Formats: sequence, structure tokens, C-alpha cells
Amino acid sequence: MSEFAVVWQHRSMILVGFENTLIIVAISAAGALVLGALLTIPLMSRLKPIRSLATAYVDAMRCVPFLLFVYLLYFGLPSLGLRFDNWSAGVAALILYNTAYMGELLRASWSNLPKEMIEAGHAFGFSGWRLFRRIILPPVVFSALPLIGNQLIQIVKDSAFLTIIAVAELTHEATSLQTTYFVPFASFIAAVILYWVTCVTIEGAVGFANRFAEDRR
Amino acid sequence: MTAHDYLSIVHGALATVSMSLVSILFGVPIGLGLALIRWSRLPFLDQAAAVYVSIIRTCPSVTLALLIYFALPEVGISLDPVPAGILTLTLSTSAFDTEIWRSALINFPRDQYDAALSFGMRRGLRFRHVVLPQIVHGSLPALVNEMTLLVKASPAVAVLGIVEITRAAIRVGARTYDPLPPFIFALVLYSLIVFAFVKTQRVIERRVAQAGASQ
Amino acid sequence: MRAVAETKQAAPDGTPAEQPVVLEISGLSKSFGDHAVLRDITLKVHKGETVCLLGPSGAGKSTLLRCINWLEEPDGGAVFLAGQRIGVRPHSNLRMTDRELAAIRTRIGMVFQHFALWPHMTVLQNVMEAPLHVLKRNKAEVRQEAEALLQRVGLADKVDSFPAKLSGGQKQRVGIARCLAMKPDVILFDEPTSSLDPELVGEVLAVMRDLARDGMTMVVVTHEMNFARDAASRIVFMDNGQIIETGRPEQFFAAPKTERARQFLMRYAAQGR
Repeated sequence: MSEFAVVWQHRSMILVGFENTLIIVAISAAGALVLGALLTIPLMSRLKPIRSLATAYVDAMRCVPFLLFVYLLYFGLPSLGLRFDNWSAGVAALILYNTAYMGELLRASWSNLPKEMIEAGHAFGFSGWRLFRRIILPPVVFSALPLIGNQLIQIVKDSAFLTIIAVAELTHEATSLQTTYFVPFASFIAAVILYWVTCVTIEGAVGFANRFAEDRR
Repeated sequence: MTAHDYLSIVHGALATVSMSLVSILFGVPIGLGLALIRWSRLPFLDQAAAVYVSIIRTCPSVTLALLIYFALPEVGISLDPVPAGILTLTLSTSAFDTEIWRSALINFPRDQYDAALSFGMRRGLRFRHVVLPQIVHGSLPALVNEMTLLVKASPAVAVLGIVEITRAAIRVGARTYDPLPPFIFALVLYSLIVFAFVKTQRVIERRVAQAGASQ
Repeated sequence: MRAVAETKQAAPDGTPAEQPVVLEISGLSKSFGDHAVLRDITLKVHKGETVCLLGPSGAGKSTLLRCINWLEEPDGGAVFLAGQRIGVRPHSNLRMTDRELAAIRTRIGMVFQHFALWPHMTVLQNVMEAPLHVLKRNKAEVRQEAEALLQRVGLADKVDSFPAKLSGGQKQRVGIARCLAMKPDVILFDEPTSSLDPELVGEVLAVMRDLARDGMTMVVVTHEMNFARDAASRIVFMDNGQIIETGRPEQFFAAPKTERARQFLMRYAAQGR
């Protein structure tokens, strides 16, 4: 039990790591959601070359293991002259990777929308960006909320991979703590609990947002 | 990159994949066991299983691997990196498999079960002959999907220093001072392996759908 | 408010002679694959008319309606709104851009069989949406008009409700109000009551009768024979992709000129409609 006391004494390390994880997740999730929404446009395009290109990107990200992708961005790209620091590489990897997943789940939601509702948009004179932004996008997001929530949880878990490129997120700080003060059990349990709390909070928030969205479906 | 370099990366890939397969082998039945515990509603075990599954499902593989490797020795379980890696992947996938099995159990049509009861089938027989075949059939697509996801997440065990695909690629890059080619090769190779799993998954999904339609 | 008394000067087939032409359809044809759904349709709709398209299922009535505002693109022929060609640029054979098409669609209203309300907006927002964001009109004015329209269709107490909470009849009345907010030259009704429970049909037809009485130009695809008989100024009977017969409702229902129309009406009489 004195292990936990040590961890508590140095809790600022863990909390800093936790804070960093939350920042990374927030930035990546926002980026992936926005870019994913934009990605739905080429994914649903009637022009085959555009659609194929976008689909190829989604398929690629679904087959690529995230850790190897992070490595590629961080270790591999400098050979091409692109130098990323570890934070940028990590966040960029998270955004690029999850944009594909968000895009695909939003696209599936779009194709399940009742056709008449979109036709009404056309019939009333909506077209192009206005049609997308005001008529299509809100119902797409509302009906995809549970899946968006799952993807957010996935982003939280993927953020832990960044420990391997020495980003000071939660797992990395927990490792630092345990190697410095020899308290592996307590420090990793603390990290596991914090991840759990974060994910459960996300699930709760999504449940709440879902009730808000239910009237609007 | 020499032929030897390529080979060492392939070797690493196979090491990762075989760890995943072992984990799947254990994880699927463990998941079924936990799902049955929850289905049976045994008072304390049900809640314990629920909490366990909830925590493991939200735990990153990397963190879990570190916990198992560094922390378990304190409670007497000291594992080498490879067994620790396999245990991590097993626990992780079993938690997701639990939810998959549970979903199939919950959706199991009650009247079939009652029919078996009314025929006087004993419990074990009831389960093996009536319930199990159907939930296997219903869970198969999701289980195979989870296998694919596990194979994709398994490089996480690199954090334990095991020589698998990530380490192999890093080693080659360190030796040649040119990290990009080995990483690209590792990425493409592993993606092809995942792709093979995805294709298999689609074939299985189609077969299950056809079998379901013919019922 | 203009009354539809122009029927006094109407031609024998029901077209009001002195009103301007709002819609002109000329030689329209449309096929889906090998199946010809519309063959050489020619029709003029004058201002203030209520034209009812009747006919058996598969006659092409809905397709014709949807070709008017180019929700379906015709394979041949032309559609004109007050002299302006829809879907094809003037002086060329090029298809209009989506934006040009959108601009001309703002003058054509459409009421859909399955209501097609936007679920993420309240009733009031649904009615205000197009005038506000497509026509870019002043918000306070649009709101005032929207509230008045919802009052007119009997839904003043539902302005802040979401479509999910409304009955079918209420949704369709919102759909009609939504059209009226755009002050269109003509409103197209695509089987507006076919999805409704029988007891809700009356409230929607009542609103439509009011509109007809107020002089709105309407083209209605419907199976409601009583409505057609009472409220239409002209019946257009279609079968198998062609216009078989047109005429005033009194004449069409009492003494149809063609055999196919006769058979159609007999079937409906037998069903007790």
C-alpha cells in the first residue's frame, strides 16, 4: 500500500501526463471529426475517380497498424526532409488515421438517411455546400453519435501508443514514475483507472448527447 | 536493404501474428466463459465480470502490457516478455469477445430455449446442442472482426522489447541509417496481413448471411 | 385573393383561357433502362388552375411531376416555368449547373408523399429554412410570415416541436406551409395523402382545398377521387406513360370520353371510393 502513497505523493507527474493525454485526444478528435465530415463528400461523390481515391485512403488506414503508422511519420519522414517533433508526429498520426474512420462511419450514416429529406433540400433550392452543411450534415452527425463515441474511445486508447515516441502522455508519465520510484503496480493501476474514467465519461456524454439527438432524428 | 533485412522484418511480422493467433485461441473461449457468467446472473460474479470487462476494454494495449510485465511480478507472477505480450493480447481480446458473445446470448430466442426445456433436455445438453451452435453462428462475423482488430493492435507489445515487426524495422533502420525503407516495408507487409484477415472476414460474413437466409 | 372564377371563361377541356401559362411541358419523355415511363407528354398549366393527375399505378404520374422540377432528368422534351426553360440553359443545349437549377426550383414548391421534413429542425425552422438560407431574406420578416402560415394551416401551437413528435397529417401541413413560405409560382403535390392514416387525410385535403380556392396554381397527383371531383379545375388522366384524356371534373367523372378512363373509374367505383 505504501506504493500508492508514493504515487499519491508524486501525483503531479501522473496528472500532467493525464492532462496531456486529454489535450492530445481533444485536438485529434476535433481534427478527425471535422476532416472526416469533409471526407464524406469525396466518399459519396458520383465521380468514380474521386470516390475511389477517397475509399482507397479509408481502406489503407483500416489495414495499417497505428503504431507502425506513427513510426513511419516520426522516424521515416525525416528522410524526405519533413521533420516532425514527437508531439506533432503523434497528433498528426492520430488525426490522419482517425479521419479515415470518422469519414467512413459518417459516410455510412449519410447513405442511410431517408432520400426524400435530401430531395426536399434540392427541391427547395439548396445545392452544393449549403445543402451539405444545413440539410445533410446535421442528421448525419445526430444519427452517428454512438459510433462517433466509440471512435473517440478508440482515439483515447491509441493515444497511449505515443508513449513509444516519448510523448509525455499518461502511459509515458506512469512509466517514468514507476522507473524513478519503483512503484510499477500503483502507477500503472493509476493510469488504467484514469483511462477507464475518461472512457466512461465519454460514454456518458455520448449517451446524454444521444438523448438530445433522439428528438431530432 | 539486404535480403537478410527483409527477412528479419518478415520474421518479426510472423512473430507478431503468431502471438495474435495464440491470444485469439485463448481469448475467444475466455470471452464465452465471462459472457455465460454474466448471462447466468450469478450474484457477485456478474458484477465483477462487468467491471473487469469495462476496465479492460477501455485500457490501451500498451498500458496493459506494461502493467502485466512490470507490475505483476509484485504479486508473484513474473513473466518473460513474450508470455507477457500474449497474456496482454489475450486479456484484451477476451474482454471484447465477452461483449460479442453476450450480445448473441441476449438475442437468443427465448422460445427455442423453452422448447428444449420442455423436451426434458438436461442443462449441459441444452446448452451444447441448442444454444451454442446458434450463438456461434450469430457471433462469427463480429468475432472475426475482433480478430482483425487484434492483429492490427498487436504491435503494441513492442513496448516490451520483444523482437517483433516494430523492433525488426527499427534495427534495420538503425543499421543502415536509412529508416524509411524498412518502415515502409514493415507497414506494407503488415497491412497486407491485415488485409488478408479482412478479406477472410468478408468471405465468412457472406457465408453466414447465405446460411442465415437459407434457414 | 383571387377566386378561381375564371372557369366561367374556361375552354371545354377546363383550361382557363385568359390566364398566363405557368408551366409548359412539351414532348416530355423519360425511360428507366428499357422501360419507357413517360412518352411524349405535352401539357400546359395556367395560373390559378388546380390540375389533378389521375391514373392507375405505374402510369407515370409521379415521374411526370418529378420531371417538372428536374428531380428526375427527362430524356427528351422540355419544361418551361413562365417561359423560362428548366434544366437546360437558354440558347444552348447544355445542362444547367446545380446552382442554376437550384435558383429556378425556388419558384416551384413540392409536397412529398412521405413529408420529407428536416428532422433536426423545429417546425418553425423548417418553414423558415429555405426563405432564410436560400433566398437570403430578412429574418424577422421570414419569422413573421412563417408563424402566420403555420397559423393558417392550424399548427400555431406546434411551432417549436420537432417533426418526430408530429402526426402524419400535421407533418404534411407543415410541408405545405414550408412551400407557401417560398411564395412559389406553382406547387407540385406528389400523392400528399397516400401515406396518411385515413382519419388524418381530411385535415390535409382541407388545407389543399383552401389553397385551390385562394387561386394557388397546383398540380396534384392523387388517388383521392372526391378531392379531385370537388377541388380540381381540370383532370388529366394518364395511363402507361401517356395522357389519355383531359377535361373538367364534372365531365370526366360523369361521362369519360375514353374506354381506359371508363375502366379506371369503374374500378374505383367498385372499391367504393
